[in-house]
Amino acid sequence: MHRLLLPGLAAALLMAGGPARAADGPPGGPPGASSCTGCHANAKIADSVIPRIAGRKAADIVTFMREYRSGAWPSSVMGRIAKGFDDQQIDAIAAWFAAQPE
Amino acid sequence: MSTRRHFLKLGAAAAMAPAVVSAQSAGAGRVVVIGGGFAGATAARTLKALEPKLTVTLVEPNPVYTSCPFSNSVLANLREIGQQQFRYDGVKRAGVMVAETSATAVDADAKAVTLADGNRLSYDRLVMSPGIDFNWTAIPGYDEAAAQKMPHAWKAGAQTVLLRQQLQSMPDGGLVVMSAPANPFRCPPGPYERASLIAYWLNIWKPKSKLLLLDAKDAFSKQRLFQNGWAELYPGKIEWVPLSQGGKVTSVDPATLTLITEFGSHKAAVANVIPPQRAGAIAAQAGVADRTGWCPVEPVAFESTLRPGIHVLGDAAIMGGMPKSAFAANAQAKVCAAAIVELLAGRKAPDPILINTCYSLVAADYGISIAGVYRPTNGQLADIPGAGGVSPLEAVGGLRGQEALYAASWFRTITAEVYG
Repeated sequence: MHRLLLPGLAAALLMAGGPARAADGPPGGPPGASSCTGCHANAKIADSVIPRIAGRKAADIVTFMREYRSGAWPSSVMGRIAKGFDDQQIDAIAAWFAAQPE
Repeated sequence: MSTRRHFLKLGAAAAMAPAVVSAQSAGAGRVVVIGGGFAGATAARTLKALEPKLTVTLVEPNPVYTSCPFSNSVLANLREIGQQQFRYDGVKRAGVMVAETSATAVDADAKAVTLADGNRLSYDRLVMSPGIDFNWTAIPGYDEAAAQKMPHAWKAGAQTVLLRQQLQSMPDGGLVVMSAPANPFRCPPGPYERASLIAYWLNIWKPKSKLLLLDAKDAFSKQRLFQNGWAELYPGKIEWVPLSQGGKVTSVDPATLTLITEFGSHKAAVANVIPPQRAGAIAAQAGVADRTGWCPVEPVAFESTLRPGIHVLGDAAIMGGMPKSAFAANAQAKVCAAAIVELLAGRKAPDPILINTCYSLVAADYGISIAGVYRPTNGQLADIPGAGGVSPLEAVGGLRGQEALYAASWFRTITAEVYG
């Protein structure tokens, strides 16, 4: 599933600090991040239809989360979850996962 | 888990907070975790991942953990009990010491746990995740001996196998009677997933049989989704009797497999009684359970509001809007572990956000879900307004099949994170 990135969004994220911010934050990542790995495996595991997000580009994660939240990109459960996070929180979670080993 | 080190500012912490120094001099601190379910095993290994200098001891008498999530699929012959079982080798490899015994007493003032093998563990922080115990006096006639005739199967393992055996040896046409308790209890959608999957199995193997579900409440989790699924897949097979129509079981007679309600009595060929519950017994002994039998905690680090220094996680705790689920227990444990690292270093734990996602199977290839996002609000974990909710009532594009696949993937992922 490939989505075109919004150039403005990616630039905004870089200016917001990107992965470096995650390293300065609290252990375990920014608010909400640690819950994600219940479904999105941190380690590489066999036989899951749920994609891993560790090591993905922050801008990609941001784009998905915003589009799930708005409903522009259809989803089963992610739209319901994304509605619990504002832009800043999504940016921080995306930066955190982008900084994790792929 | 991240291996990012969290450097302690030793000098500053030592100057400002003498209490922290003793913890650091013991090697960054000692944490004891009581109970090796989804909450406890997650907390123990996350603590070691975030702060390898910590001494973390998991107290768990059982060498094998049997997972409740997906155990309803065992009843319906879709899985074997062995696929529910996990050892603690992965937890040990993560650097956690496992004390294979039970905790018999907690001394919150002395900060020590007494173990059944006679040892005593001192701690700087204690995590309690004792799960549930049954209230054996709530339904007259339903005690531990009765559970051998009328299994609860609400702690997975031998009880799950017993209930499956009873279903398999039941004559075709026999009536299956289930009873579900009032809130709160472990896994709110669980009884209805169980009714669904038993009906799924009855359809194939005992087509003349029906299922009666006696309920001590008038509404339940994912209710419309379940009831739509029942009407679609199992018409006339499942009869749900709510509280207002005499659903509350007031006593049972195990000798005749009879469940008595305020409105009458029901003789079963197979009876599954899910009794009222409370936090695991050690919680009351430790003084962290209140008069409800459950454990009140603050919403940031899940520290007991009754006994400082003790954190309570998972089904045993009162988590505001968050349900008693394995996903929630795992999410709480990761937040709690990070908070404990901060607290032991003399810092304040930040306000968390937590997610819950619970899948239920209405049939082998028919999944539904409920999700929620939570944050501390007025001293409790509360739903973030506008987020969360259940699967749409109108499924398009193979959504139910997709959610059944997500359910299976979730189980493989979370058990790998916790026990792998």
